Amino acid sequence: MLAYTFKRLAAGLISLFVLATVTFFLVRLIPGSPFQSGSVSSQVVEAVEEEYGLNAPLFDQYAAYMGNLARGDLGISYQEPDTTVAEIIGRTWPVTASLGTAALLTAVILGTGLGILRAVSKRKAVREGIAAGGMLLAGIPNFAAAILLLLVFSVKLKWFPSAGLLSPAHYVLPVAALMLYPMAVISRLTGNALAAEMDRQYVLFARAKGLGRGRILFTHALKNAWVPVLNYVGPASAFLLTGSFVAESIFTIPGLGREFVSSVTNRDYTLILGLTVFMGTVVILVNLATDLVCAWLDPKLRRSYSGK
Amino acid sequence: MSILEVRNLSVQYHTCQESRQALDGISFSVGEGETVGIVGESGSGKSTAMLAVMGLLGDSAAVSSDGITVCARPVQPGRDIAMILQDSLNCLNPAVKIGRQITETVRIHRKCTKREAKERAEELLDMAGIRSPKLRMGQYPFELSGGMRQRVAIAIALACEPRVIIADEPTTALDAAVQVQILHLLKRIVEDTGTSLLVVSHDMGVIAALCSRVYVMKTGRIIEAGTAEEIFYAPVHEYTKKLLRDTKGHKPFPTHPQEVHLQEEHLQEEHLREKPQPPLLRLEHVTKVFGTDEGIRDVSMEIRAGEVYALAGESGSGKTTLARLLTGLLAPDDGKILYRGECLDAGKGKRAWNGKSAWNGKRAWNGKIQMVFQDAYGSLNPCLTVGQALGEALRAQGGKDRLTPAERRRRVEEMLCMAGLSPEDADRYPDEFSGGERQRIGIARALIPEPELLICDEAFSALDASTRKQVLDLLLTIQKEKKIACLFISHDLALIRQVSSRISVLCQGRLAESGETKDVCSDPWHPYTKMLLNSVLPPDPLKAGKVRPVFAEEGTQGTDSGKGCPFAASCGYAMKCCFEETPGPYRFGSRETACFLYSEKHTGKRAEGYTMTSQI
Repeated sequence: MLAYTFKRLAAGLISLFVLATVTFFLVRLIPGSPFQSGSVSSQVVEAVEEEYGLNAPLFDQYAAYMGNLARGDLGISYQEPDTTVAEIIGRTWPVTASLGTAALLTAVILGTGLGILRAVSKRKAVREGIAAGGMLLAGIPNFAAAILLLLVFSVKLKWFPSAGLLSPAHYVLPVAALMLYPMAVISRLTGNALAAEMDRQYVLFARAKGLGRGRILFTHALKNAWVPVLNYVGPASAFLLTGSFVAESIFTIPGLGREFVSSVTNRDYTLILGLTVFMGTVVILVNLATDLVCAWLDPKLRRSYSGK
Repeated sequence: MSILEVRNLSVQYHTCQESRQALDGISFSVGEGETVGIVGESGSGKSTAMLAVMGLLGDSAAVSSDGITVCARPVQPGRDIAMILQDSLNCLNPAVKIGRQITETVRIHRKCTKREAKERAEELLDMAGIRSPKLRMGQYPFELSGGMRQRVAIAIALACEPRVIIADEPTTALDAAVQVQILHLLKRIVEDTGTSLLVVSHDMGVIAALCSRVYVMKTGRIIEAGTAEEIFYAPVHEYTKKLLRDTKGHKPFPTHPQEVHLQEEHLQEEHLREKPQPPLLRLEHVTKVFGTDEGIRDVSMEIRAGEVYALAGESGSGKTTLARLLTGLLAPDDGKILYRGECLDAGKGKRAWNGKSAWNGKRAWNGKIQMVFQDAYGSLNPCLTVGQALGEALRAQGGKDRLTPAERRRRVEEMLCMAGLSPEDADRYPDEFSGGERQRIGIARALIPEPELLICDEAFSALDASTRKQVLDLLLTIQKEKKIACLFISHDLALIRQVSSRISVLCQGRLAESGETKDVCSDPWHPYTKMLLNSVLPPDPLKAGKVRPVFAEEGTQGTDSGKGCPFAASCGYAMKCCFEETPGPYRFGSRETACFLYSEKHTGKRAEGYTMTSQI
């Protein structure tokens, strides 16, 4: 298992290297310079570029950046000359992460609950209601959901504040906007997987040996049903933890996603690169964690990782 | 006093379109300490009846009865009644350790601490004949062999402390030798604990080996009931007679004695009359190994044109690997496969789509070797009509003489007629056919490119006795008519004995013995062959009751390193050399065996012109 983890981490490092390289050269394809703006003369731009080493040969710049990256130094933001990229991430990520975690937890808890209900409910109306509701929610794009929530609950009903992230009440609408889609998908996956598990022979056998319905559901069927669900939850949580560009922009939340959008419009090379590498790291780690949890649930997978 | 009493049980299945009567007023009872059998073919409603008794049928089934009682109380699953299901792999939760699956059962039925439950579980596993219960408790189902899993299922059933155990096809998924072990175990449990046992099976041999009283079921009704002696020696109902007749290899009640007689004679004679044909396919020291123990090692054999050659062995013996090598789905690691003397270099093989090395797509014998699969439905694409599937097989051989669609259609229809189906069936989809009909389609598809060798990989194992007989007869008729060679791969020695002229027995990837089928089956030389033959259960209570397991427990088979005879660990004749060197093959006339009992070195000098006889 340990060997497997190390192998995955090594593969992750290679992925990060490729990601950083590709992003480095792609960013340079954005027309214009980071320091260009209407009121600045071209002499000043050139002078500042000189100072930041941007007129050196591209490959030298690349080598210098990768050298710094290897030491864990993400460089200085061009837009806020006194702050390092690491500081910006340190400032914005806790905001995004708290929002993402809240959204993830609600999505998983509600999604699983609805999924279980759909699989075991004896009432057809409940089963089909959940299925149809899930389909509807999964069909609404998250920018539409965000704006709709904002209009109804903030502008019309004035139940929740519309912008910022100051109090728990501020969390409600962005979390709702973020979790709707994952919740719908999780409930559908859980429902399908659980219904399939409940038809399996071992459930019949468990009933034959006198186990109660609840015990069969929670200790037997759910453990098997979770594996396909987790395969979705992993990537979905990586997505939530790296921040949603749309939701953060609509609710004006000072998070990673919004920072990323503004860094691209500002052509802030180091910030774009730093954020990309950081998000890449999160995605890789979260996916690794998902696979490890799957292996913990599925003994067959565990043995195959251990190479036995 | 009867422990289990079922009176006038009926079950109807309701679906959106129709309702179907699955059971029609059946009544039966099981007395204290009694072993009762229910026999019937698939679809006769046996399993439905058992699930209905346990109260485990789904919502779509409407159950009505005048009373189902266990010890004079209404049935509640797990209380006084326990059940063992057919598929031991699927009836254990794959994600939960064996130990916990037993202890949770123990703890439902008696109030005790976790520790006590654990001790009880170990005791139960020991009772079920598992040798190191502590080790097994910490393992997951997939780490255990099929026989071992069935033992765990039995231990779980025992944990319910039942007065009666229902065993639904308890050994159907198991190898013959393991089947004998499990049946033996069930018998011992009945003797030791005094529980009653209700065995449900399609296999007359299993019923004969265990039961003292038998019910015969057909299409939801009990059509005959009586003691085992009555049912097996003096059946009254036509259907019971037919079941017994169709049971593999044994024909105690021929309705048309001449016909049956003629057929056997015909087979035997033809094989004798035929001159030895030139070899169609030759294997020379073929090896293909997966991991450490799977696959085949150093196998040589020869299939002649027009003959029926059988390959026997248990699951995991490498039969399917061999079939895949012959059809070119795999390429050998070592050794040669020659088709009409033409060899294809294994080195030229390219990687197939599944990443395993395989032959190049176009081969010298393209289309000349065809295969009939075990899972007839699984091997047919559900989205293609039968006509399309057959047409595709016809087109796949390609070549110069390309057929027009009309010609192809005609060929498909001819082929379907030959396989005992109607031309209109070409426009139907695989799911519209019954199991036997699907296997006919499988045969038609294999035969339509006009092969010279047909490989049947357990092609008849999944069919009921009577269906199997029909499909088998059809295949043999076509085989003789068209002089197609046939490689018959099966674990079922009774079946092999009936159809083949020559046989090879595979034991864990190595050839144990080969020769004329009638010689090998009537006078086995290799201890492994003998064990296989001894595991066949005849549908005769006296004979089947006498069949004893060769080794009582699981996990005694095989040496680890691939060195030595693979059967040595469970062989009663094993010598020291059997564990250290790989035996033979030693050749005597038309027979060959890989056992040191027949080697000159280990048994001393032989006189000139010595005629070898069985040493066991």
